[in-house]
Amino acid sequence: MSTLIIVDQPPYGTWAGREALDMVFSLAAFDQPAALLFTGAGVNWLRKQQAPDAIGQKSVEKNLSAAPMFGVEEILADTASCERFGLGPEQLVSGVTLAENLQDVMNAHSNVAFAG
Amino acid sequence: MPITDMPPRNNEGFLEDANQWTPEVGRQIAADDQIELSETHWEIIEFLRGFYKSHEMSPPSNRLFVKAVKEALGEEKGNSIYLMQLFPGTPAKTACRIAGLPRPTNCL
Amino acid sequence: MTSTQPANPTLHILNKPPGHPRFETCLQAIQDCDQLVLTENAVLALADRSVTLPAACKAMKADVDARALNEQTRTGTIDYAELVRLTAKHSRIISW
Repeated sequence: MSTLIIVDQPPYGTWAGREALDMVFSLAAFDQPAALLFTGAGVNWLRKQQAPDAIGQKSVEKNLSAAPMFGVEEILADTASCERFGLGPEQLVSGVTLAENLQDVMNAHSNVAFAG
Repeated sequence: MPITDMPPRNNEGFLEDANQWTPEVGRQIAADDQIELSETHWEIIEFLRGFYKSHEMSPPSNRLFVKAVKEALGEEKGNSIYLMQLFPGTPAKTACRIAGLPRPTNCL
Repeated sequence: MTSTQPANPTLHILNKPPGHPRFETCLQAIQDCDQLVLTENAVLALADRSVTLPAACKAMKADVDARALNEQTRTGTIDYAELVRLTAKHSRIISW
């Protein structure tokens, strides 16, 4: 049984995204197949060179970069949302797979949960 | 010889600010747990310091700590028996405390 | 969303109130064979006359009671044990 965690909210404003990371890391800790999908304003998680020190927060970009090491299977981003927020290949963090059709991605997982 | 200017720690002995860590601080925290740091301890401590620098967090749980060590240093060291021998108790908690990292969020 | 047909009936668990973008997206995604369960603030849909709920819809009784929506009888209510039964019965679950 595979789980898809969807993040559709931007980083830093709320705790929703941290919750998503916590969920996906916990699934990975117990060797449950898990993937992350960023869509809507959530794609802003994936922008390179975030520097949140001045707002007193840890970098979600750096937190997220631990995902492959923990065994998170895939990090996906909705292509249209990336275009909307001006995220070209040069701005995106590495290791992200672009997805054209969200419905297909959701259908590929038996368990889908939005974060926050 | 105990150092006199120990940086502030929380009620569980974790440093309030990971940036204030020095190897001497690490030795001192380990001594509180009756652990004398050997080269094999330092290998894990250095791994954790590097992990924190790259990811701005501690491995969130003991399982993920073991997984991350396995990924970085191989099966021989990335297993709970090896890590438990080096860092008794909950290895992730003990090792993070000595390495000056924040408390792993999902460890009891 | 496109009209790609999912293979199995899906259990949709919705906890967002009417007006939240995910509330609308969820209602649009529901197929005829799917089951919807309203939890937390999503139960406010029972009082919202502008919302058309699907036939297979249940609301969490505790959340309905908490918000004094007991008079709004547009759907049946379920308890936590029944929610667990529904999750066990469906092979696909989306938590909105």
